[in-house]
Amino acid sequence: MKKFFMPLVLSMFMITTSCTKSDSAKVKADGSLEKVLNIVVGAKVKGFDPNQASDRYSGNEVARIYEGLLQFHYLKRPYELVPNLAESMPEVSSDGLTYTFKIKKGVMFHDNACFPNGKGRELTAEDFVYSIKRMADPREQSKGWWLIDGKIKGLNAWKEKSGKADKTDYSEKLEGIQAIDKYTLKFVLSKPFPQFLYSLAMPFTYAVPKEAVQKYGKEFINNPVGTGPFITGKYTQANKIVYTKNPNYRDEFYPTQGAPGDKERGLLKDAGKKIPLVDKLVVKIMTEEQTRWLNFKKGKLDSMSIPTEEFANVMIPGKGLSDSFKKQGIVERKVVGLDVTYNAFNHEHELFKNNKKLRQAMSSAFDRDSYNKKFYQGVSLAAQSVVPPNIAGHIMNFKGPYQNFNVEQAKKLLSEAGFPDGNGLPEITLHYTYSTKSRQMAEVFQQNMSKIGIKIKPTGVTWPELVKLVNTKQTMMFSMAWGADYPDAENFLQLLYSKNSAPGANGSNYSNPEFDKMFEKAAIMSDSPERTALYEKMYKFAAEEVPWVIGFHRVTYGLIHGWVENSKSIEFDHGMAKYKNINMAKKADLLKKL
Amino acid sequence: MQIFQYSLRRLLYLIPVMLGVSFLVFFLFNVVAGDPTPLLLGKNASAAQVAELREQLGLNKSFLAQYLDIVKSAFTFDFGRSWATQQQISDIISQRAWPSLTLTLPAFLISSILSILISLVVSFYRGKGLDISIRVLCIALMSISSLVYIIIGQKFLAAEWELFEISGYEEGFPYFVPYIILPVIIWVVLSLGPDIRFFRTVILDEVYQDYVRTARAKGLSEKVIFLRHVLRNAMVPMITYFVIQLPFLIMGSLLLENYFDIPGLGSEVVRAANSNDFPVLKAFSILFSVAYIVFNLITDILYAVVDPRIKLQ
Amino acid sequence: MRKERSLWSDAFNRIVKDKISLISLIIVVIYTLIALLVSMGVIASDWQEIVGPEYAPPSAEYWLGTDFLGRDVLRKTLYGTKVAMSVGLFTCMIAIPVGIFLGSIAGYFGGIIDEIVVWFYTTFSSIPGIILLISISFVLGKGLTAVYIALGATSWVHLCRLVRGEVIKHKNRDYVQAVTAIGGGHWKKLFVHILPNIFHIVIINASLLFQVAIKSEVILSYLGIGVQAVPSWGKMIDDARSELNNDVWWQLFGATIAMFFIVLAFNILGDALRDALDPKLKGKES
Repeated sequence: MKKFFMPLVLSMFMITTSCTKSDSAKVKADGSLEKVLNIVVGAKVKGFDPNQASDRYSGNEVARIYEGLLQFHYLKRPYELVPNLAESMPEVSSDGLTYTFKIKKGVMFHDNACFPNGKGRELTAEDFVYSIKRMADPREQSKGWWLIDGKIKGLNAWKEKSGKADKTDYSEKLEGIQAIDKYTLKFVLSKPFPQFLYSLAMPFTYAVPKEAVQKYGKEFINNPVGTGPFITGKYTQANKIVYTKNPNYRDEFYPTQGAPGDKERGLLKDAGKKIPLVDKLVVKIMTEEQTRWLNFKKGKLDSMSIPTEEFANVMIPGKGLSDSFKKQGIVERKVVGLDVTYNAFNHEHELFKNNKKLRQAMSSAFDRDSYNKKFYQGVSLAAQSVVPPNIAGHIMNFKGPYQNFNVEQAKKLLSEAGFPDGNGLPEITLHYTYSTKSRQMAEVFQQNMSKIGIKIKPTGVTWPELVKLVNTKQTMMFSMAWGADYPDAENFLQLLYSKNSAPGANGSNYSNPEFDKMFEKAAIMSDSPERTALYEKMYKFAAEEVPWVIGFHRVTYGLIHGWVENSKSIEFDHGMAKYKNINMAKKADLLKKL
Repeated sequence: MQIFQYSLRRLLYLIPVMLGVSFLVFFLFNVVAGDPTPLLLGKNASAAQVAELREQLGLNKSFLAQYLDIVKSAFTFDFGRSWATQQQISDIISQRAWPSLTLTLPAFLISSILSILISLVVSFYRGKGLDISIRVLCIALMSISSLVYIIIGQKFLAAEWELFEISGYEEGFPYFVPYIILPVIIWVVLSLGPDIRFFRTVILDEVYQDYVRTARAKGLSEKVIFLRHVLRNAMVPMITYFVIQLPFLIMGSLLLENYFDIPGLGSEVVRAANSNDFPVLKAFSILFSVAYIVFNLITDILYAVVDPRIKLQ
Repeated sequence: MRKERSLWSDAFNRIVKDKISLISLIIVVIYTLIALLVSMGVIASDWQEIVGPEYAPPSAEYWLGTDFLGRDVLRKTLYGTKVAMSVGLFTCMIAIPVGIFLGSIAGYFGGIIDEIVVWFYTTFSSIPGIILLISISFVLGKGLTAVYIALGATSWVHLCRLVRGEVIKHKNRDYVQAVTAIGGGHWKKLFVHILPNIFHIVIINASLLFQVAIKSEVILSYLGIGVQAVPSWGKMIDDARSELNNDVWWQLFGATIAMFFIVLAFNILGDALRDALDPKLKGKES
């Protein structure tokens, strides 16, 4: 899931909001106040088809309606998979190829006109068979196909066959994915894929009912029908999506265990309670940071990430959150992203091919400290290699030999590379996704490189154009960021695997047999100290090789109003609104102080 | 009868122009540019998937067939789906036209009335101090980039002095009103310069006509001449000027909508441009051309009706 | 012909005598000189150098302050002058020949040629300019050349219309008839006799075109399809949006003022030229 290079950094953070003063809380039939969680997103939501949920925004909306077999534990860290629609974690065969799931009984789809009499029917194992096949259906063009491409037995062949046929035949039985009985689902993989279970927690693989797809056709994207904790009507592309609590939601409960410290932070107050805890979700789409900030300050938003321009006023260096915010009951929250930003070299370009010294020189000439201060208020982490912190494979306190700003070293390396003072080097085009901020970022890089005599020509293009340039290997350098699809270093290390070269995930076309050998070995290993050791070896290897000018692991700060309860930052936020709660008394109180 | 024939002739002229527009759109978006795969399939698409998709979208059809598809869409208004959002384009347009109009219509009305009034006053006092200073002011206003007005207006009027909303939009009357006030003001300021200059020229064109001299010779007062004769005759080019602008109102304002987070057609164009969403851009080009041509036709016919001097050939 | 020449010298005299017009003319000359000096690398070639702290306000040392990197805003403004002037110049150089050529053959020959040209420009002007600009930038890639061509391609229509109209008026005038009588060919009549007589329209239009192009560059830069890798006024104004929140006003100021004077100068010159050259309007303005 590649993302824009940085323009959306801050807006990527999900924002939870609450009622405005004007639309004051409604009283429900039982006399209590209606709990409304207003969530704000910073970009257009594309709709509700799990197959199309390739960006985080759409993924989050899909996950309020639809559910998958597995999910991440809301509180535990490091991230841990737990069952969602599955009854329990699957049985895995000793060769790691067969996964058998038991599915929860009595899970009902939302009531919808697509079902007989409009009543939602029970979810069965067949629904997963259908939904996974749908990812492979050439007529659906799923954006998630890459996730299971070549991994489930018989699915690729079926896809190919369907492409040639006039109509996709879903009735064909496949070895790779079968419904043994109504509640038993079996996957057979064609090769070991230890990360397979993670993919079952991603929105792409969530269960959709066949009836809805058939009834709505292309408009399925606007007519969501799932099993999830919330329900919404037809999606209209308006600036607001309103969800109500699913009255027939099965018995699911707030987790009773958390990470160390969660209890003290009040995150286990609702332990064991039935979810969802709020009555309503209102998702507002506000693309402008200023709009969001103003709404937050008026108490119309529960939380948002601190705008770049306001950072100095909000977070006092050395002291943390400024008093004026503290007085209003606002708390801050640090979010360490599972990501890495980089300016990649195209290793198929003759300039960078086998010219390690040149790459090292450029990396050494990049002043990460001042860049961090300029664009991330100095809170992001200068990356030492490709794997971000908090996942196995990242080495704490490791210093990449060329990650330190050192003009002398850079100059020396540059002349060893055969370009003393940049003589003989052509102008290097750096493609980036255009925004004011990313242009300024590219200008800083341009300026840094000019200090050792390297001429950079930053060229801003649209995101699809950038993808096209990268996929057709027409770049010299390009700016990119990678956000984790799942918490495994493999997801980052694969970016350097030669068989993933463009148009694959390895857009830099880095190719090194030694690295490939290590990667191939690690890719089929299950989580173990041996695998972590191998990951770390690759981590160090990449730091020495400088396949890209590696940038940052981004850190942002969010602000949350005091009335939001059970709010914990989670990188894989899919569907987690079901755990959030609102303290209505506190809210009434705090709103007066704004 | 003559007017009817003339209208019919002009109406038929729509056909070659629409064919031309379709061709230009086809040439720019189908022949030279246009790879939807990154948008529709995401970053990790395989070559096989790309090939499938091109087939489905009709991108493997002959150029002639693709061109005919565009021509067809110009008459049926069926533009298919957006590449980026998968939404029906006709839905996008109908949902977004309204916010655009809530901004552009009031802005247009206010700026038109204001500029007509001011231009009447300055042309009445032509050559005097007031006229000269307003002319200078108009030129000066026009010499500053529209972006500067937006940035300064948002910064001071909205953020600093909190007179207006900084940005955003709420659907439905009267909720949208607070959000459009500042954009409307900026629109008015931006259009006053060119409008006043244009109207002044138009009015003065009439002032030096022979009939005005005759009227003056007859001893009519300057005010009467102005309001009764000059204004009436100047109305024709003025109305033309207004009608011609109507299609632009539907398109909204690219910069204002974008800066103020108003979900209209203008900001949709920016979104589509930033995501290479060609079907949307194509649909907009064609829709706008149709509107443009139709409104042009209306003005021409209006002209012919109001001003018998125009030969109906 | 003599009559026309006196019109030109008369116009020149009028402009020189009118102080405001003269100042405008001088401003244009100064901007042109700056643009030339920047092109030759005499000034502002070191715009990328970090001269001081970030966001230093204007002072004796940095007249227009520094930007987010500590680069000199004055140098960026000067470099932007070159970019702006070149955008204006090349837009004119593309739009004017196209406009004159198509407009004059349409007006002169009439008939099917006229029909085709009118159809062509109607088609062209029916598509919203901004979408045309965006699509051309997709086709040509990003950069100055694309900006020139995109702006040139979208701005010839107006001139073409005007020229067509004027040529139609002129082609039946006595002096053209006289050339026919002495056996002058079509092209000679058109280019040697008619065009010089309507050239003032071109000049007036060019001065307007020039400043519209400069203003368009700003919008294009805001949309991210403008100039790449070098400073421009548009990018400076784009930067200013976030800078203003930290009370950094000098980049906005530098670019706005620089742009203000040149656009104002072209506006005034355009007006003055029209007053001086367009006999129809003579006597009206003063």
